[in-house]
Amino acid sequence: MIRRARPALGLGRTSVRLSLQFAFLYAILSAVMFFGAYWMTDREVRDWIEDQMRSDAAAFQRVYDGGGQSALVNRIAALSEFSFENERIYQLRGQDGAHLAGTVIDADAARAGEHVFLPVASVNAGSALSSEVSGYWTRADRIGPFWLIQGTGDHVIAEVLEALSIALVAGYILVISAGLIIGQFVGIRTERRIGSIIKTLEEVARGSLARRIPAADGDRDDLSRVSGAVNAMLGQLETLLESQRQIATDIAHDLRTPLQRLRQRLEHMQRATTGEDEDLAAALSETETVIATFHALLRIAQIEAGTQQSHFVPVDLGRLARDVVEIYQPVAEDEGQALTATIPDGAVGMHGDPALLSQLMSNLIENAIRHCPAGAALELALEEGAKGPVLSMSDDGPGIPADEMSKVFRRFYRVEKSRTTEGHGLGLPLVKAICTLHDARVSLSSNAPGLKVTVTFAKDAAA
Amino acid sequence: MRILVVEDDVETADYICSSLAAEGHVALHAADGKEGYLHALDNDFDAMVIDRMLPKLDGLSLVKSIRIADVRAPIIILSAMGGLNDRVEGLEAGADDYLVKPFAFSELHARLSALMRRPPMQTEETLMKVADLELDLVRHSVSRAGQQITLQPREYRLLVYMLRNAGKVLTRTMLLEGVWDFHFDPHTNVVETHISRLRNKIDKPFETSLLHTVRGAGYSLHD
Repeated sequence: MIRRARPALGLGRTSVRLSLQFAFLYAILSAVMFFGAYWMTDREVRDWIEDQMRSDAAAFQRVYDGGGQSALVNRIAALSEFSFENERIYQLRGQDGAHLAGTVIDADAARAGEHVFLPVASVNAGSALSSEVSGYWTRADRIGPFWLIQGTGDHVIAEVLEALSIALVAGYILVISAGLIIGQFVGIRTERRIGSIIKTLEEVARGSLARRIPAADGDRDDLSRVSGAVNAMLGQLETLLESQRQIATDIAHDLRTPLQRLRQRLEHMQRATTGEDEDLAAALSETETVIATFHALLRIAQIEAGTQQSHFVPVDLGRLARDVVEIYQPVAEDEGQALTATIPDGAVGMHGDPALLSQLMSNLIENAIRHCPAGAALELALEEGAKGPVLSMSDDGPGIPADEMSKVFRRFYRVEKSRTTEGHGLGLPLVKAICTLHDARVSLSSNAPGLKVTVTFAKDAAA
Repeated sequence: MRILVVEDDVETADYICSSLAAEGHVALHAADGKEGYLHALDNDFDAMVIDRMLPKLDGLSLVKSIRIADVRAPIIILSAMGGLNDRVEGLEAGADDYLVKPFAFSELHARLSALMRRPPMQTEETLMKVADLELDLVRHSVSRAGQQITLQPREYRLLVYMLRNAGKVLTRTMLLEGVWDFHFDPHTNVVETHISRLRNKIDKPFETSLLHTVRGAGYSLHD
């Protein structure tokens, strides 16, 4: 029996695990890219600002060359006036360092040809100073006899980086969530197909050998290939089991007539002989045993074929159990054993084959009677469990060693010490076959001392 | 009694026919379903034994056809080993009893006899009697020689069945099926145990025995 895999829960699912792993990897790679882009942009924007200031210095030089000091002073004053949010600042100083025009900038910090960062505090930018500017990148150039000191607020850098960050973070979130959603989608699709494979295998394990995994629409991926291989294997299995079943049926069928004739001849001889012939009686009795074994074997094969479910009718298990116990009570009594029944008063209803169900109970009781010594206490109990009726047969006899428990359901298996006792070793396999037919589970456990056989029916089997 | 045997295996058919003849019956053999059908319509048989698997027309269809033709003679179907639904399907087709192959002739004979002398259904009496043993179905009471006998429900059920078939040989399997509805062969002495319990109550305390063991066949209740 295949244990049902718990579906759709937690990290155990391959699909969820894979999609999370990919998301994590993606997050790390994206973070590295993010910082790289951030750093590069920061550098490029600053380069660009420096280029701008250098080119501005050259432009001022041309203004001075064309219009002299007054033109230069006017131009710088005008630019200082119109600078938006004090983004760009300019100061013109005389040779002695005296302020001539523009914004007052801490002179010492600015040196020719270098780019120096000045915090806002060292700049007297007036009331229009933007709160978003925390400092200026500055540069000092000589224009004729004067010094031109210009600065560009870091605000523009901040703005560019902010825009970049927004774009990167938004893209990052988009990519990660798209990855997770696609991962989920692919995962659910995969899960569904794996689910159908598992469902098919479970049905096959329950005996529906003709079931096959449905073909997935779309292209042939690895799961389709697995499904194909499993289907091919199931086909092979079905053929094998079918031929095995067929062999058993064929043998029994072919032996039907010879056995009938053998028995007839023995009977005929017995009638012809006057008086008692022990050999003849023994031969007839052995023939009976052979016939009984074949009969049981064929019956198991037919029950396992599973066509019987179409003959199911409503059955009162309680009444059936009471009847069977009543029949066997005197038999147990004659063996010096006590057979008791614990059966609820009301009806214990289910669907099933009444003849097979009473054979099931009778086999369990006979099994206990035959393997227990005189003085043993046997009990057949029936209760209405949460999942369906539960039938149990317990005794305080010698029991079965734990390592042999799973083997007793095999055909012709006999527990070592019981080899000498009567029986053809098909009683429990028949019980098992009847249980399987009725969707019931049968299990053995120790009754300490003794044996307990428990049959758990599914709620209204095959109703 | 005139009995039709429809069986394709010649040796088995011969054996059944000669054994029936030895019991004083007249047996007619048909080797396939078609031939069996013609015989069944042409002649007035007291009973028919029909194999389930026959050439030309299978046993079940043959039984159905015979019943459709309004032939009412009792029919026993012979079914294959392990035949799980054979009993139900046979009875549904219109047969009166079924027997699994291979079978003992004594079994077939006992079942045929029980069928051929089956009393009409309506005239079931409420008071059944064999010699001085009486059973009242209405009052649920049993007495022998005027003496009340207390029986367990299971013993009572067995006695009712035996009284209904008084004088006939009842085999182990007939009792298992008829009294306990067991359609399989138990591996313990279920029948023997119950017979001996019943015997202890209805026979032991009295001078003559009514419940007889028929060697190699079964049991019979008669005086």
